[in-house]
Amino acid sequence: MGLNYQLVLWNNHKKTYDKLIVLGMLLYIILFAVVTLVFNSETSIETLVIRAFGSLAIIMLHIILVIGPLARLNSAFLPILYNRRHLGVSMFIAAFIHGGFSMFQFHALGDVNPIYSIFISNMDYGSLTDFPFQVLGFLALLILFVMASTSHDFFLGNLSAKTWKRLHMMVYAAYALIIAHVFLGAFQQETSPFTIGILVFGFILVSSLHLITAFKEGHIDTAKTEEKEGWLKVCDISEIEEDRAKIFTVEKERIAIFKYDGKLSAIHNVCKHQGGPLGEGKIIDGCITCPWHGYQYLPANGQSPPPFTEKVATYELKLDGKTVYINPKAFEEGTEVNPCKI
Amino acid sequence: MKKNDEFYVSYIDRSLGPKTKTTLKRFSIIALATIVIGALLFSFFQKPFKNSTFELTSATNITGTYYEKPYPMLRVEVAENTFKNILLLGFGKSSANPYLEKLQKEVKDLNGKNVSIEGNLIYYNGKTLIQITDDEKVILESSSKKRLPEKEVISKMTLTGEIIDPKCYFGVMKPGKGKIHRSCAVRCVSGGIPPVLATTDKNNISEYFLITDLNGKPINKDILEYIGKPSEITGIVEKMEDWSIIKIQVSDIRELDKKSSIY
Ligand code: HEM
Ligand code: FES
Repeated sequence: MGLNYQLVLWNNHKKTYDKLIVLGMLLYIILFAVVTLVFNSETSIETLVIRAFGSLAIIMLHIILVIGPLARLNSAFLPILYNRRHLGVSMFIAAFIHGGFSMFQFHALGDVNPIYSIFISNMDYGSLTDFPFQVLGFLALLILFVMASTSHDFFLGNLSAKTWKRLHMMVYAAYALIIAHVFLGAFQQETSPFTIGILVFGFILVSSLHLITAFKEGHIDTAKTEEKEGWLKVCDISEIEEDRAKIFTVEKERIAIFKYDGKLSAIHNVCKHQGGPLGEGKIIDGCITCPWHGYQYLPANGQSPPPFTEKVATYELKLDGKTVYINPKAFEEGTEVNPCKI
Repeated sequence: MKKNDEFYVSYIDRSLGPKTKTTLKRFSIIALATIVIGALLFSFFQKPFKNSTFELTSATNITGTYYEKPYPMLRVEVAENTFKNILLLGFGKSSANPYLEKLQKEVKDLNGKNVSIEGNLIYYNGKTLIQITDDEKVILESSSKKRLPEKEVISKMTLTGEIIDPKCYFGVMKPGKGKIHRSCAVRCVSGGIPPVLATTDKNNISEYFLITDLNGKPINKDILEYIGKPSEITGIVEKMEDWSIIKIQVSDIRELDKKSSIY
């Protein structure tokens, strides 16, 4: 992995991606403003800003949420996943403008602290239709803030991939809060079948894509296997393509078994970067390459080639005729294991 | 997972194959289409806004007779023998009182005296309010006592409407009523802006009642939980030139389980 080389090309794709994000956001705000000023010119600027950025943020959030399952269903979507964090941070900025303007407009210049005011102005916590919906938006914004500010790779190094992943799973909590924020808030007063319809459609799309993905991946995890003296039967050798892997699950841990250069090697399936599925990767220049952002690991010892220092667990394999067997006991991360000769 | 022989790695030149490229293009087009449709729907289907006005960036000077009961107001002669009672408000979500204190200390009793105020006008549907932002801009014009507006008791009435904060409702915010605006209205009234009951009858004629307690004293904190919800209020109604007043007991407010119908 030539470091400089990586930076240059990363920038080229990133630029197109970022340009698209900025273009999309500008297009949204301009369209929203023009339509509002033409058809509803008595609006106030603050309301225009609050509504334009709030609705932009929720639409962006939907786009972000469909990318994950799409990329798992079809690897051609992976390059979008690859730079999803920029989309995430831009969405946070839109949400922050919405929330910030709302906080200023509705809670500042009063007799108590604006943040305290969000929680205590409307005390109908027991009612559904009168629920203090701004509290939900505020909590969602906090989650988005934590996510946006820890999206840098710096935090990946300091937080462990698992913690980071858990943190970023909170996006679903934020999504739920935001849906409740809109349905218990704006939609109680600004009821229109079209805006309600678009969010209901979005919700159905996001949840069904996630369910389909979970269902498909569930199959990997529930495949039955035979045990023989501590070795588990994986598959026939012909089921693994050259330079690719088969994912095999033992006690909820996924293992990627790669075939390359007349050899077989097995490593833990989870990439140390952001938990990408290494078993959906490919051997490039002798290295297992993660499909998400291209982190690399040597198949024989699960270590990233120098100067990188990531390590994943390795496993022992054996062949009996044409059948591949695995010893499900993981070795320490980065342990050298002799590849199994075919 | 769908088969795709292409394997894109960001740092490998030309690893972005044609199939992947087509998928990306399609995705970008669908995403942009979603953005356009979303913008059109969310902007077009907003409820119409009122033509209320807040002159945030321009200041106006008004002169009239000051009085503080039930809430600080200025009685301004707009045409011969026609008076408009302009409700005085502070900056942000606050009462006008702190801005009047300085002059009140100098003059002892400001009631009935001629005062000029420079501030930002707020107006809608025949009612005018003014935001004072600086106590230097409240000036005593003459010390001779003038007549105060007369109050006429109408009767005990039960009215249906919504308690609003007049500052936002008459201009500062859109919408300045209902659920969306509720916590802001609570902050405003809590900060000393007089609560007002807005009613709309079958013919879409609205009337506005300054709310006080049974002794005609201001109510603020006690009424907060009823703000921004349709309710039914019983009280003694008085007429004070272009404003109405309703004297109530907070416990006589009944929340109504229905959609807001004020306008
Ligand atoms: C501090 C946090 C927040 C506050 C105080 C807040 C406040 C509000 C208010 C007052 C409204 C009604 C505005 C109107 O219709 O006039 C609203 C609507 C809305 N909010 Fe939030 N919000 C916050 C966070 C969020 C976040 C994080 C999102 C999503 C990413 C969001 C999405 C929306 C959407 C989609 C609407 C409906 C469309 C609109 O009217 O803007 N809000 N919010
Ligand atoms: S998850 Fe980013 S490279 Fe593997």
